[in-house]
Amino acid sequence: MHDRITQTFRGSHVLTAVLVAAALAFMLVGIANNDTFYLRLGTEALIFAGLALSVDLLLGYTGLLSLGQAMYFGIGAYVSAVVLIHTQSFWLAMSASLGASLLAAIVGGIIANQVRGVYFALITFALAQVVAKVIYNTQSLGSSDGLIGIPVVDVNLGVAAISTSSPAGFFLAVLTIIIGLYGLTAWLLNTPFGRVLIALKANERRVPFLGYSVWRARLAAYVLAGAIAGISGALYPMLRGFVSPELLFFSTSGNALIAVILGGVGTLAGALYGSIILIVLKSVISTYTTHHLIVIGSLFIALVLFVPQGLTGYVRPYIVAWLERRSTRRSNDQKPSMPTAVVLKRDSS
Amino acid sequence: MELLEYIQYVLAPQVLNGLTVGVALILVALGLTIIFGLLDVLNMSHGEFYAVGAFLTIGLGAMGVNFWALIVLAPILMIPLAIAVERFLIRKVYDGADRHVTTLLVTFGLALVMEDVLKLIFGANPHRPENPLPGASEVLGIVFPHYRFLLIIVGAFIILVISYIVYRTKLGSMVRAAAYDRNMAASLGVPVGLIYSGTFAFGVGLAALAGVLLAPIYSVFPTMGRDFIFMAFSVVIIGGMGSILGAVVAGLLLAQISSLSSLFIEPVWTDPIVFGVMVIFLMFRPQGLFGRIGHA
Repeated sequence: MHDRITQTFRGSHVLTAVLVAAALAFMLVGIANNDTFYLRLGTEALIFAGLALSVDLLLGYTGLLSLGQAMYFGIGAYVSAVVLIHTQSFWLAMSASLGASLLAAIVGGIIANQVRGVYFALITFALAQVVAKVIYNTQSLGSSDGLIGIPVVDVNLGVAAISTSSPAGFFLAVLTIIIGLYGLTAWLLNTPFGRVLIALKANERRVPFLGYSVWRARLAAYVLAGAIAGISGALYPMLRGFVSPELLFFSTSGNALIAVILGGVGTLAGALYGSIILIVLKSVISTYTTHHLIVIGSLFIALVLFVPQGLTGYVRPYIVAWLERRSTRRSNDQKPSMPTAVVLKRDSS
Repeated sequence: MELLEYIQYVLAPQVLNGLTVGVALILVALGLTIIFGLLDVLNMSHGEFYAVGAFLTIGLGAMGVNFWALIVLAPILMIPLAIAVERFLIRKVYDGADRHVTTLLVTFGLALVMEDVLKLIFGANPHRPENPLPGASEVLGIVFPHYRFLLIIVGAFIILVISYIVYRTKLGSMVRAAAYDRNMAASLGVPVGLIYSGTFAFGVGLAALAGVLLAPIYSVFPTMGRDFIFMAFSVVIIGGMGSILGAVVAGLLLAQISSLSSLFIEPVWTDPIVFGVMVIFLMFRPQGLFGRIGHA
């Protein structure tokens, strides 16, 4: 018998598996139709899903609302762009971005960890503004225009190489990386370290009494989230061939937040679904009107008010209950299991 | 002699400009800080209410409404909208587990919708209403544009009136009581629900008023609130969330810093400096310069 948190993670894994299957089907259809546009759009959705994942790790599991997660995404993107221009090496760009975003997140985390609650939201917001404006004003980083002309590179896998210009190939590469990030996050959250983070959200004051350092756990969560955002950001210039200061602006952080709320806070899978739904929504609405923010904003408000658990948060309890029933059926004669009703009721974080 | 000319032609206009911006900034920040101080809500849509005020100047001005009437009319027109927002959006999530986060999210969503509605009605291009009080006077060789001068006077007057209401009237003491302890205030007969709606409407009205007053000086466009609200946030943080005196001091200070620093460094660098100061304050003195309304 697994405990409730492990159960909910298994529910998220099922949802993510469905998403991966859908993404692979989408890719095959794309290849069959010789499509570029939709595959590129899908890749972009996945890249921003990585950013949303980092927001969900903070908000959904540690209870920290970051309004400046785009900062690490942008730092990852800029570092990756600069490295790609100079060396054309995918792996070097990825590791440099990871290093830079880790470093930035340690500094940012030490600063932001001084405060709690609404002040934390504001300090992350202000930090992102400072970095965004500094990049915006830096001539060697292209100022307000950003950096353009980032070369197409090969993702060298030893036995084979995928060009970032190949729509399906790069889609698959990004999908692998983002799902890898999801798996890593879910795994970490299911370790004792992850339990401390979840405990922080539940009741921060009691955690020290159990012998854990609140400060260290919060910093670790923040740094991890920064690194996830940085890695996702590093993929952006490979897809679009440019980076611009807009990547660091509040609108990028805000979009990630919308995606997380849409998909479901504290589910991880929801962040992935949310980003994809958000991009699909935007492109569908844009075919009718340019004012997609009215629709998305209203939808966002309605979700916060009426479905605060989001889409996957709404679906997941049913999947968890189904997994539960299945495992009970398997170990039918052994021991009586926890009633599913209890699982259903308590699963609303 | 050179120094005098420097003061007359370079320094004085910048100080005056800083004062004008400062007064408007204080009005916006006051609304923000009062709403936070009392309701414990970080109103992310505050900048959009400010933009609505400015667009009322454009829209109603085009219908022939006098500008001076608008100064009174715009905040009043905001009351029903503000009360609806407080009753049907904020109050719905107010008693939830994580009030700060959910109210922030709801007002953030509202900001998106409002900004886009303004775009839908007025288009994305900037507008510029006519200056209702053109001309300028010269005092001691320093040029005072009439309208800016008036804005400073009107703004200072409004700020004084607000401080008087909050600190010296019975209504003000009820508001402060509700901010300090909602349940105790309610049991002493303070109509807390009404006070909450009223305070939110009041804060929003101030933002709209600032929008009207600044419209003739700056251009009016749908995303104008976004740029301005970031500054207002810094003012509120540095002054102390919920502190009226703090908002006044920090507003004047920040406006002067950004106005005067543009003489020495490129103006594009004032933003990072202002936000950097905000970060430093959040790190070492999150309560700001002064304490919180009802708590000091």
